[in-house]
Amino acid sequence: MKKRFTSVVVAALIAGGAWTISTYAQARGQGAGAAAPAFDPHDISGFWILPAEGKKVPAAKLLPRITKAMLDLHARRDTHAVRWCNLPGVPFAMETGTPIDIRVGPTTIIVAPEGDPAPRYLYLGRKHVSPDVYDNSTNGDSIANWEGDALVVDTVGFHATRGITSIPGGGFKTDKSHLQERYRLLANGRVLSVTFTWTDPMVFAAPHTYEFRYNRLPATYEPAPAFECDPYDETRAAFIGDPAPFTPATK
Amino acid sequence: MKAACVTAGILAVALAAAVRPSAQTSPETLKGIERLEGDWVRADPNGSGDFGGLTSKFTPASLTPQAAADMQAGRRAAGAPRGPAYTDDKPHEAGQAYIVVQKPCAPGPFGSGGALGINPDSGAIHFVISKNEVILAPERGGIRHIYMDGRKHPDLSRWTPTGAGHSVGYVENGELVVDTMGITTGGVTAGGWRTPETHLIERFVVSPDGQRLTINYRWDDAKIYQKPHEYHYELDRLPAGSYAFEEWCDASDPIEQQSVVPPPQ
Repeated sequence: MKKRFTSVVVAALIAGGAWTISTYAQARGQGAGAAAPAFDPHDISGFWILPAEGKKVPAAKLLPRITKAMLDLHARRDTHAVRWCNLPGVPFAMETGTPIDIRVGPTTIIVAPEGDPAPRYLYLGRKHVSPDVYDNSTNGDSIANWEGDALVVDTVGFHATRGITSIPGGGFKTDKSHLQERYRLLANGRVLSVTFTWTDPMVFAAPHTYEFRYNRLPATYEPAPAFECDPYDETRAAFIGDPAPFTPATK
Repeated sequence: MKAACVTAGILAVALAAAVRPSAQTSPETLKGIERLEGDWVRADPNGSGDFGGLTSKFTPASLTPQAAADMQAGRRAAGAPRGPAYTDDKPHEAGQAYIVVQKPCAPGPFGSGGALGINPDSGAIHFVISKNEVILAPERGGIRHIYMDGRKHPDLSRWTPTGAGHSVGYVENGELVVDTMGITTGGVTAGGWRTPETHLIERFVVSPDGQRLTINYRWDDAKIYQKPHEYHYELDRLPAGSYAFEEWCDASDPIEQQSVVPPPQ
């Protein structure tokens, strides 16, 4: 009886331990070969970093009217925006080189790149603000909905000249630009895929799609105190230069 | 045999509980504070006219002698001459702007890094409530991260003070309570003072109808206050469909320095 009891206890402990290890591994996104995902596919809350290998950006198909001179002008204005610490806006906000804090609330998802003073607000289950009252902005007006396991974000209302306007792969944003993003968790929630599709009748000959894949940072991550951008730092200003000084026409 | 199985089961569950990773704040513990989510703007029902009037009915801070001296020194430094533009004492013709700001859009103790998430000004603030972190985003720049997963404040010897400091929160009676320290040295509403060691306790109370938010502030630091310095702000919820405005400031645009109102001499 004693031997039998011992066997039962040992078996139970092994089973309990196995369950614990399995649960722990799945919680850390390391479950092997599980049929069902061990993560909530809607739980994109967390800190994310875009690694160097996380970008797949094809060349955009631009309209014939888009000349090299136009692209160069936008590039120079982008440098001006960086020099003067202007809000960068989308799309640069999604590749600032710093971790991005994404938090999903009941009505709003906030996307906050570290050190960027202007987070993105993705409003769930809403319609766009009327263009009659919306003041175009560097981040635009974003609304979001879940389609299965994908968060689909639709953004319009970009400011044509403010912030960094160049788009990865070529082209630039205008006040006619329309951006659709699809956020999906991969690899048991450890990777966040975001595909960006830009359309603009003034710039693109075909929808321009590219993908970024972000790695999840540990839950204990904390943003470092930001080195705030100072437009009056002379050393910094001299290093960057200003190839497109301010003129009222650029407002 | 039955007793053996029961015992084994209990042991297994106990072992599992002992070695599993500690649970993060579960969504259930956020119950009540989801009502904070959304957009709020200060109501200031107690005074107006100027910034001093808005807080004129607050109980002034009761400072220790050393803190009072520190605050006076800090104010003298802040009140130093702000540049040659302020020596302009001639009335301007119509259409001729006054230069009232030497370095517009510059980073500073307010308006950047989420500092206005503490004692917000007339700009709106926005809450996003998620299970391990609450975001408080002042419209005029940056965000406050309020960690809800039970973590502690960092050792201040390894922390660079910021305008927003380091905040940890918990839910008590359906209200969000936030403990903040590590804020840059500076002034506090109603004659207060603070250093990175000072603790700020905020309690966010939403009215039963969900339309009014009261933020109760309590500044606690025995080196600075003879008794904790307390006051509260009241905010109104913005209408449904409201959204965060963008605070655009272009330091390269000369108009950012200008005003039609003469600067104070």
